[in-house]
Amino acid sequence: MLRTNAPQLVEFAVHGRVWPARGDNSDYRTTSNGRGATHVGMAGICFTHRVGDPAFGWEADHLEPGVSIRHPDDGDEHALHYLACIGNEAVVTSGACAGARGTVTGEHAHVLVDFPPAEIEMLAVGDEILIRSIGTGLKLLDHPDVMTHKLSPRLLEALDLQVNAAGTLEAGVVAEIPSHLMGSGAELTADYVDQDFMTGDRDQIAELGLDRVRLGDIVAVRDEDHGWGRGFHPGAVTIGLIIHGDSAWTGHGPGVLDLLSSRSGAIVPHLQPGQNIALGLGLRTSEELSTHQPGAHVSSYATRV
Amino acid sequence: MSDNRSQLVGVAVQGSIVSPQCPALPASPYIIGADGAPVLLPPPGGIVYNVAIGDPAFGWVADMVQPGVSIAAPGGANPALRGLACIGNEAIVVSGRARGERGTVTGKSGRFAEHVIVHFEPLVLDSMALGDQVLVRAIGRGLALSDAAEVQLKSISPALLDALEVQSGESGELVVRVMAEVPAVLMGAGSGLTSEAGCVQIQTDDPAGISEHGLDGLRLGDVVMLKDFDCRWGNGFVQAAATIGIVVHGDSVRGGHGPGVTPIITATGGRIRSQLVADRNIADLLGLRTAVGTPK
Repeated sequence: MLRTNAPQLVEFAVHGRVWPARGDNSDYRTTSNGRGATHVGMAGICFTHRVGDPAFGWEADHLEPGVSIRHPDDGDEHALHYLACIGNEAVVTSGACAGARGTVTGEHAHVLVDFPPAEIEMLAVGDEILIRSIGTGLKLLDHPDVMTHKLSPRLLEALDLQVNAAGTLEAGVVAEIPSHLMGSGAELTADYVDQDFMTGDRDQIAELGLDRVRLGDIVAVRDEDHGWGRGFHPGAVTIGLIIHGDSAWTGHGPGVLDLLSSRSGAIVPHLQPGQNIALGLGLRTSEELSTHQPGAHVSSYATRV
Repeated sequence: MSDNRSQLVGVAVQGSIVSPQCPALPASPYIIGADGAPVLLPPPGGIVYNVAIGDPAFGWVADMVQPGVSIAAPGGANPALRGLACIGNEAIVVSGRARGERGTVTGKSGRFAEHVIVHFEPLVLDSMALGDQVLVRAIGRGLALSDAAEVQLKSISPALLDALEVQSGESGELVVRVMAEVPAVLMGAGSGLTSEAGCVQIQTDDPAGISEHGLDGLRLGDVVMLKDFDCRWGNGFVQAAATIGIVVHGDSVRGGHGPGVTPIITATGGRIRSQLVADRNIADLLGLRTAVGTPK
């Protein structure tokens, strides 16, 4: 039994709006192979992809699955970013879909919310979504060297962490990402959005099998301390969540959102296929996930350097 | 080696000397170290009197100290200033008590600072004020080597290219003398960001690794090679890529942070080879200081 301070946590509301995809009059971004490209991916309502689908292979950049929300007021926006936790419940509070319920699955340029598609057919840009935020300050009482980030009690339970014979915490993960691949996001704190793993070296990504990961997968990064900052620290371990899809940009790739981190390595990963929050939080079935197999498609930008 | 410098266009870009920036109340004034310790330190920017190009990159009680003077421009002029200014470009003070004094661009800082860093003689610093306007005679953008089309030059003035004395190796690779080589695993903040207008940082939360690679003796202005690191169109890991850069700002206590390196030469596929030497610093190469390396 994992003892936590969950009974002491405070649950409260933060909010955002379904945010439009935006462009400007020169929307080209440069790919890692030196080509101008325009890709869809961030913001708005994604009708085709949900958490649980493969993170690679789409004609998209930084694909945000489901519904992307933010708030126009800076203070509200940062409250939403810092306090919404993965696994928190979301409720549509305006528009035709008022009352529909979903789940927070990521925090990137927007907070990402998954809804059952049938409940949001009439969801519109600008509709208000409220998050019942709980998880900030969550502590594992018997493992003081392990910090949590954006981890709701609901997701902690779904992760099903185990304590091994030596008394060390263990987390099941679908993959380990070597620290030299950790890229964009190192300039931010561990409590703000995610850090991409870099996919510019396509050969190495394929060798490591990292092109098989799915949105929603739980992964580990060894020798990375994501307690307060995000950096290389031998012996540290970080457990994260794949929140957005691959990218064509140098230094970018699927986003890893920090969930647990230990500077002293007080949490140990072990490989556990299928460790994905779409399944763990009961958002989708494994039959649904099997309709999109990793490796079925290769993005046009995923060419060798 | 021949290049296209005769075709380059020199343009003026301009910024003013920035004030150090701290968060407004009631925000906490502290930055948080990699180990979680809150500290209040001088932030990057402003006029720095006692740290100059050529001085050590480590050991200062400051966050990412930028030697000399840091300038920025308002709005859309800042990306132009940061994008076009090249290391080694001449800078001229055009307002205030130091008007007419001349200095040299020595670097550019990354996300959240976003300054151009300029060296002036100590006596000039004494007559400067925050807000003074500094014009940079920007030239170097588009500079390319005639016989090495796949090697990209960035933020490097023709004057610095000359001073580096790069050579062609036996297999046609570019040979560059550097002070140190940095493994890709140590590259932190700045990964995934632009390689044209800022820097990428050598992260220092592994002191043993830093000294193992001889990086603890780095100085501001040192020429280094980033191994397996591609800075052609953004900064990121690619095996057999290499980037030559200049150390532009000092160390940091933050996780993922440390001395910043502004990329100046970059290529994939082993097209750049480094040659380790005991001394390679732009303070010497550009004649900005004499006797670099003597303790202050």
